[in-house]
Amino acid sequence: MPDVPADPLFLDPDLDWQPVSPKLITERRLPWLGCAALGVFFAVVALTAGAGDTTMAVAFWALAAASVAMFALAWLVIVPRVSSTWRYAERDQDLLVRRGRVYRRLTVVPYGRMQVIEVTANPVSRKLGIATVTLVTASASTDARIPGVPEDTAHQLRDRLAARGEASAAGL
Amino acid sequence: MTDADHGPDRAAVEVPASDVPADELRRLHPLTPLLRSWRIVGAAGALGFGVFRDQFDRVRWFWDAAHGDVDTSVLLKGFVVVLAIAVVAVVASWLAWRVTGFAIVTDERGVRTLLYQRGLFVRQRRQVRLNRVQSVDVNQPFYARPVGLALVRLDMAAGEGASVDLSFLRASEAWELRAEILPHTSVGPKARANAAEPAVPDTLIAQVSTTQVVCSTLLDGVLTWSLTLVWLLGIGVAVVVWGSAAIVAGLSGIVIVTIALLAQTRRQVLEMFRDANFRLYRTATGVRLSSGLTSTINRTIDHDRIQGVRVEEPWLWRRLGWARVRLDIAGARGDDEPPASLIPVADRAAAYGLVADVTGVDLDLAAYAGPGQRSRVVDPVGASFLGVALLAHGAARREGRWRRSTSYVPFARVQSVSARQGLLQRQLGLATLHLDLPKGAGRWTARHRGTPDAARLVQVLSARAREHRLSESSSA
Repeated sequence: MPDVPADPLFLDPDLDWQPVSPKLITERRLPWLGCAALGVFFAVVALTAGAGDTTMAVAFWALAAASVAMFALAWLVIVPRVSSTWRYAERDQDLLVRRGRVYRRLTVVPYGRMQVIEVTANPVSRKLGIATVTLVTASASTDARIPGVPEDTAHQLRDRLAARGEASAAGL
Repeated sequence: MTDADHGPDRAAVEVPASDVPADELRRLHPLTPLLRSWRIVGAAGALGFGVFRDQFDRVRWFWDAAHGDVDTSVLLKGFVVVLAIAVVAVVASWLAWRVTGFAIVTDERGVRTLLYQRGLFVRQRRQVRLNRVQSVDVNQPFYARPVGLALVRLDMAAGEGASVDLSFLRASEAWELRAEILPHTSVGPKARANAAEPAVPDTLIAQVSTTQVVCSTLLDGVLTWSLTLVWLLGIGVAVVVWGSAAIVAGLSGIVIVTIALLAQTRRQVLEMFRDANFRLYRTATGVRLSSGLTSTINRTIDHDRIQGVRVEEPWLWRRLGWARVRLDIAGARGDDEPPASLIPVADRAAAYGLVADVTGVDLDLAAYAGPGQRSRVVDPVGASFLGVALLAHGAARREGRWRRSTSYVPFARVQSVSARQGLLQRQLGLATLHLDLPKGAGRWTARHRGTPDAARLVQVLSARAREHRLSESSSA
């Protein structure tokens, strides 16, 4: 798993940053893997079905399918660099979430502002044993989402956050 | 608001449908069904006209019929049918009106609730706990104006459902109802604290004439207006030169330009209509706006509901020393509605004075810290106009070379703080900060701060947001 470069603003070295599970990479890779497989499949189909046909159409479709496959394969290489950049840190009063390598983001949510804490998992992530923890505030633009948290850690995190949220009161 | 005080209260107002006391039920004005369906009436009229337009000879037929040239039994039948439809419509709307009404009931705990019911076959009932109401306003849509009717709008706290309109009542009754409801609303306790002194009537603190609003809006959108004019002229010339095919070509060829221009023009015209005849009053706990050219809209805004204030100074306005102030309000209506104007146009000093009046800060005198020198690389035009100021109870920022805007957000409203950094920004050691605010308010953005400064701001802003929210909830 590639490391995230140190950065005083987006990765304060004094904090205890928690990485997300490497299984997130697997989950994020799956759609691209499917895409690549489909691309290869259609390229092969176009070539075999059109064997002997000398028109440009066959070459065009085969090339199109092959480039889709190439693009998806390129993403398979990039995905680990993107997905490994999620980190979160719990402080006394707020939760920090950071992500991104080229375009970096950091979100700070005070515990008192949390309205809902959601733990969601789709069938693939359930299979992998990971879940997404989302913090909802009164603002629609708050982007505090942590994907790829191991399931039991996610539940512990949710309970911890809920307790802290309660301690620092609720409301708008 | 915790679950503990929520549950029993909710239960207390669960009154069965039959419990609305018939003698306490207050009816709305009898013209209500007609006005409610003004769109349908209008559409039916337009449709009838549209169908009829091509057949003017029918008019002559009616004329002949009326003079006995045609067998009158046909005419009579037609008349009977029309009469029957009219009678049915009148009876149906009368029945609907009979069951539409509202009542204000007090339960054993002294909590007042407004019950509102309508619907003949499917009974709709709504309960509004008056202590959750954040504002009570009297509005007059343009179609209700000629008959002197108005509606009373109750706005609830954010997240407690949309507002309720009691429509329609006679204008004087509407104002009486407002006066009756107001003491029991969430504005009430604070008003009751100084109940010893007699109720102070709202005092007029600012006024803008329709002419001023129209002139300033035209001046603000001078670019749009001239572009629209050039556009129309261009199409006109094209039509003369190339014939009517040019209209189709022009409109379809640059459809996006047309749509953008039309949307901008529409927004400005709507705003002009809304802000015409503008009056601003001071009330016991906030301000009340009253404006509108065709429809009169009243909006009472409690100081507590203000999520943010923005002063806008377009380039041409600055030559004349004008400014506009906009408000973001909690629990506001739809997202598509443009933000409310605290004042549509005023002298700069007066505008900043009003902001100081509402928020308690002088935004003009605040010490704005500029971004780093390197921000000029990213934004050579606007960099010297960027600035951030941390004040006692909120954060202010300003930006804009041409359209200068200064916005202020109370720390108590900040939901989360975030920082973003793109590739170019990282090379230059810059980052952009955002404050996320509840629905109804836009984002607060401070662009291109130096990284050490940004890191410090993230710390300070999140800490202040936390503290202010704590101090607010402990005082409430």
